[in-house]
Order: sequence, then structure tokens, then C-alpha cells
Amino acid sequence: MDILIAGVGGQGTILVSKILAGAALLGGGRVRTGETIGMSQRGGCVVSHVRTGAVSSSYIPPGGADLLLALELCEGARNLPRLKATGAAVVSTARLEPVTAALGQEAYEEETMRAYIAARPRARFIPADRAARALGSEKAANIVLLGAAFAWGLLTMDEGSLLAALAQNTPPAFAALNRAAWRAGAEAARNAADDREVTG
Amino acid sequence: MEKQGKQILLGNEAIALGAIAAGARLVAGYPGTPSTEVLQTVAARNTDGAIHVEWSTNEKAALEVAAGAAWSGARAMAVMKQVGLNVAADPLMSLVYLGVKGGLVIVVADDPGPISSQTEQDTRFFAAFANAPALDPSCPEEAYAMALRAFDLSERYGLPVILRPTTKVCHASAAIELSAERRPFAPARFEKSARWVIFPPLSYRRHGEIKAQQAQIGEEFSVSEFNRLEGDGPLGIAAGGVTYAILRDALMARTGAEDWPAALAALSLSVLKVGAVFPPPKALYRRFLARTERALVLEELAPVIEEQLLALKGAENLTAGVAGKLSGFVAPNGELLFEQVARYTEEFLLAPPVTVAAAAPLAAPPVAVTTPESEPAPLVWPRRSPVLCAGCPHRASFYAVKKATRGQRAVFCGDIGCYTLGNAAPLDMTDTCLCMGAGLTVAQGVKTADPQALVFAFIGDGTFFASGMTGLLNAAYNRADINIVILDNSTTAMTGHQSHPGLGRTVMGEETVKIDAAAVARALGAGFVERADPFDLPAAMDAARRAASHPGLSVLIFTAPCSGLFRPTLICRAEKCSGCMLCIREIGCPALRIATGVVEVNAALCHGCGLCARVCPSGRLRLEARA
Repeated sequence: MDILIAGVGGQGTILVSKILAGAALLGGGRVRTGETIGMSQRGGCVVSHVRTGAVSSSYIPPGGADLLLALELCEGARNLPRLKATGAAVVSTARLEPVTAALGQEAYEEETMRAYIAARPRARFIPADRAARALGSEKAANIVLLGAAFAWGLLTMDEGSLLAALAQNTPPAFAALNRAAWRAGAEAARNAADDREVTG
Repeated sequence: MEKQGKQILLGNEAIALGAIAAGARLVAGYPGTPSTEVLQTVAARNTDGAIHVEWSTNEKAALEVAAGAAWSGARAMAVMKQVGLNVAADPLMSLVYLGVKGGLVIVVADDPGPISSQTEQDTRFFAAFANAPALDPSCPEEAYAMALRAFDLSERYGLPVILRPTTKVCHASAAIELSAERRPFAPARFEKSARWVIFPPLSYRRHGEIKAQQAQIGEEFSVSEFNRLEGDGPLGIAAGGVTYAILRDALMARTGAEDWPAALAALSLSVLKVGAVFPPPKALYRRFLARTERALVLEELAPVIEEQLLALKGAENLTAGVAGKLSGFVAPNGELLFEQVARYTEEFLLAPPVTVAAAAPLAAPPVAVTTPESEPAPLVWPRRSPVLCAGCPHRASFYAVKKATRGQRAVFCGDIGCYTLGNAAPLDMTDTCLCMGAGLTVAQGVKTADPQALVFAFIGDGTFFASGMTGLLNAAYNRADINIVILDNSTTAMTGHQSHPGLGRTVMGEETVKIDAAAVARALGAGFVERADPFDLPAAMDAARRAASHPGLSVLIFTAPCSGLFRPTLICRAEKCSGCMLCIREIGCPALRIATGVVEVNAALCHGCGLCARVCPSGRLRLEARA
């Protein structure tokens, strides 16, 4: 299974990748990841690749991802072509405008982005940033998104392995926040089981 | 060998653990993407403190420190990125002539793309230039194996060995089976000998010896575990480093075969995997060329394997056609991602290379991706370039100098670090950027040729200690009338907050001397040296004006910590914003955005620096305590 995690530098894509890879390893499977580390971490576009199974390279071919986890709306749209036609997407409706958009040099067309993503039958939206903010830290939006993806049945790893990998890869001081973020994401997804979008 | 279970490791972490297992006694380096995690991992895993780990002041210092340890019989490793090897080129070239006693491995990470670098230079060329053996891993697992083996190789031939991973190995991770054994440190003692003193007669003798050794090492590489000839078809593909791993995925996807041998058989292919690349494994190359009618070479950066194959083909009158970068079949620049590997392979399988049009250099990084046919054409989304973070003190420093020099014809020379991002709109405060430390010296050239211009050179504190001091001394000695601005944010920010000589602590967390950049500037001959807080905008602008009007060299040190070093206690709030947008137009902070005609502060990003509040003409942006 090929999972692509997309976001803006600073949103925590690498942590999501580490949790998925750690959970896959705990489950006894083969796993590789590929990260974006460098200048892009200063507010640029970042993607992480997680690949389970018998593959040789860490990087998902174009149009090859089975699942896209996007921490920001525009990055979800940007990376959608990397998703298989039959692939699933969980996209945070978080809106982070590039400075060039605030300066009026480029347009951030939220509705166009949403419509483009929503055209995929297996795309779902969740306000992960808002849910995390309600728990006290928007930084936990990545874990909210992950919890939702799990509750929607889109991850092949089991919950025990995912939560163990979450604990292994985060400082104990944030354990309670992260567990709450996981639960918030999972509950929001379960409450909207048949809907394409989590609201509220 | 005893195993200690699998761990998920980045390629860089794997190299670090390989070096530790191999008994490295000293590891020295200078941070730079994509190499940084190698040394950091050694430091983090060095819990008993047995290994001497250091961030050296620059790459030249790192390699020379490592050489001293290796001459004393200890195993040592130097770590840097590809442009760092330019700085260390001087010791490298001579070091191969003198050789080593303890194993010396030089990890040089290359950055195809480039993703976080100034150049797409190829360290394999440098290895050939310097006559140093070079290894090029295809995946993190192989990076671990190579790190272990490189020390043996170095000791057996008495030569430094270059381990050259690329970004997509450095920053890829895999579950790696680690060796539980750690080789004990070799007893080290510096034995006096003429062999450690480079003189022309020694160099003449060693030059001959080194060349003779290369044939031997090439023979060893022909049977190395890192080089392989797979399949037995008449069509050949040679792949170096990470491209081999991508080729495997591409051919498996192309054929839908059960396994790799079946995929090769289905396409009548012979695949040459090259991991130990210099000196060239000629015997293996000979077998590859002998069995193929025509061959495609897939490698990122320079056509090193292609040239090696062509040289052998020419020298031995072999007939196989070779397509690659030199033949114009493969684009010279950029990464070789899955889509390029698949396309070049397809074109190669379909037609003889001579009939295929030459590949043009890529104008833009190959980010365009194919879409399923049912999809509408991909839309164009707003670009998202890296920017100075919200709360970054560099933004305030640039803004203060910009305001202070408004109306004058000023040139702003930049340097390498986060503050290179000061080039972006709306700050637009980086007119030149060449390489580490060059802003100071470029500024002197600009001022000499264009004396009417007001010339500023910006350099970070880390870069100043790494490569800026010589330039400052040069300015003082040669009476240059330039204004140097040291952006002191108390860290090496771009590469992830490493320590440096100005911070009073080593990479292992030990306390050490704290070098004062102001004192250094005075000692190097600067008459005007001042410090200012960039967030105190009026004071910062006054200081910039004083520096500009000071006749001769001035050094202004803007001091405020990187926003990544502390949690914010304040936050900016916009109330009854008039919508003049001056804050956005002037400072371009990523935490500011326009919502229905007024400015809104993104609370998650705002770091409470208050620069926007100082810029706001109507006092509607205000700094408050965080809830």
C-alpha cells in the first residue's frame, strides 16, 4: 500500500509518516518511507511517502498512491494527481495561504480546490485544524487526520500498532494531547461515516 | 553476525549507525542538507561519550581533524554536503597522496534536483579527480552496509573512501537489520614518519602508486556485493545509486512480473547495478558490454558511469551502443524520478537510441504528473515557496535596513542560510548569493567597481564563523567601505538548529568557550561594531543609518533568537483593521492573511514578534499576552 502525506512545511507530515511506518513494522510488514527535509520545511510544499510491501524505492510513482492524507487544502489539490483513480483521500480543510497569495500575486481559490478534490469519489474532508485547535493546539491536526483515516477504515495497520507507534514517536509530555487528537479525529469520522465531509 | 532486530532508519541514520558499528573513534562534520542527520545521529547514539563528535567550524576543518585521527590509527569519519566538499577540496586532494592508517570515510551527500543546494555537482567526479574510491548506495539498507565496509576498504588500501549518498537515500527510511556487534576502537598512537609530510618527491612517487592501486580496487569492485550484473538479455541498462531501486520498481510495474528475474527475462534485459563506482569495475563493465547490443545508462547528476563505459568501449573496441546523458538521450539536469526512469526505459526498449531525439535540458523540475484519463486537466495551484517563518528576526533586520536606506541606491549582498529567503517579495533584500561567506567579499568587489552604491552584506552567525571571518579581515585590511550585517539568531537555523562557536556548547552538549562575534569583528580590524535588537525598529534603523554613514568598514550585529528556539508568550491581534494592507505589503509575514478585505492573524503561526504591530499605521494590530 502506498500512502502519500502532503502538507505545508511545519505541519508535521514527517511525524505521520513515522507513525505509519512504525505501525507497519510492529505489524510485521515491510515498509519504506521517503521524506522532504530541507528548505521546504520553512513553509514550502512537503510530502512524505509511506510504502508497505515488496517495493525497492521509497518514492510512490505518479498516479500510484492508494491513499492521500493532506494536512492543507491546496496541498491536497496539488497532490491529487499522485493518487490512483480508485484511491482514497482524507483532506484537511485547513487553509494556509502562501505569502504570494496574500500579496495578491496569486489566487488561492478555495472553492475550485474543494471541487477538484471532491470530484474523486473516495475523497473526504475534515476540519482537522479546527478540531485540534479545540483541544488546545493546532499542531495536533496531523494526529486528528490520522485518527479519522483509521476510523474510516483507510489504513491497513491495526489500532494497537498505530497508537504504540504514536507513543514511540512523540514526547511523553504531549501523550494526552495526541491521544485526544486521535480520538477526536476517529469520533468525527465515525459520526460522519456516510458523509463525504466532517462538519462542525 | 549477531543481530539486534530491525529499526526504521533514515539513510543518514543508517550511515551513522554503520560508522558506530565499524568502530569510528572520531566523527567531524559541518551541517548541510541532505547530510545533517548523519552527525546528529552519531551524537545522539554516543551515550557513553566514547566517540569524539564535533560540528567543526567548516568542512575543511572537519576533514583535517578526521585526517589527524586517521593518521594516528583511529577510524574517523568526516560528514558534509556536496558544496561542503568544495570547501574541503584542498585537504582532500592532498590527503589521498598521503593516505591514511586508520580507516577514513568521507560522507558527502549529493543533492540531485537540486532540492536544498546551490549546485547539481557530482561528488563521484570529485572522487575520480582526487583518486579516492567512491561508494554510492541505492537504498538505506545498502547505505548501512557501505558505511560498515568503507572503513575496511579504507584501511586495506590506505586511502580515504568517499561514501556518497543522494537526497533520496539520505531522507528515505527502511527497516534495517542492525549488527549487534561494535568493533572495538583500534589502538591509536601517532607514529612519526615522513609519510605524513607532503613534499614534491613523495607526491611523484605516490601518484604512481595511487594509479596502480586503482586497477586493484577496480578488480575488487568487479566482484563487490555492491555491483551486480543481473539478467542475461541483449539489451542493457546500467543504473547507479538510487536510480537502480527506482528502475526495479519501474520494470516490475511495466511487466507485472512475479519477481525481478522474471521482469528482466520478459524484457530481454541485462541490468548492471553500480554501487561501488570509482575506480570503475572494468571487468564487470566488460561483461556487461560484451553481452549487450545496446545499453542505456541511468544515473543522476553527471554521466560518470556512462563515461566509464564509453572509455572502456573505446579502449577495447567494443561495439555496444551506449545511450545516456552524453548521447543526449537523457536530460542532463534534475532528478531521475519514477516517471523519467519509466519514460527513458520505454523509449530505449522501443527504438535504437540513435533514432531518438535528444533530450532537452529540463526547464523546470519535473513535478508535472500524469492523470487518469477521466480526470480534467490538472489545474494550476498557487506556488508555495519556502519563506522566513512568522516571528523570524531576519525579517525585522531586513526591514530595518530597507527602511533606513530607502531613497538611496543600495546593493544587498546575501549569503547561505535561512536569510537567503530574504530575497522574496515583499522584502526583496537579497541581490547576490554565491556560496558560504561570499556575500562579504562579493560586496567588496561591488563597492570597488561601483563606488557610488551603498553596499550591505548580510551573513548569519553560523555562516560568519564557518566562512565569513576571512572576508571580514579582507575588508578591513583592504580598506573596503562596506557595511556588514551579522544576523545573530543564536543558532544554525536552516539545517535544524545546530550549535556553533558562538553558542558556548558543543554538539555533545558540553560547555565550551563562547566566541563573541563583535569581539572577533574588532579583532579582525572593524572600527565600527554595534549590536542592535532588530525588533526595536527605530533603534535598529538608527543603527543601520549610523553604519551606512560610517566612513569605511562597519559591522552591525542584529541580535534576536530564532523563533524556533522558544515558545511564544505573545500574539498579535487585528481589531477593526482598516484594510490598508500595509503590513502585508511591507513585511510579508506568513501569519498575516486577507479575509474579506481586512487583515487576519493566523494564531497558530503568529509568534508574537510584533513587527506587524510596529508597521501598522493605525495601531490596529496589537501585541497581547497569549491565552
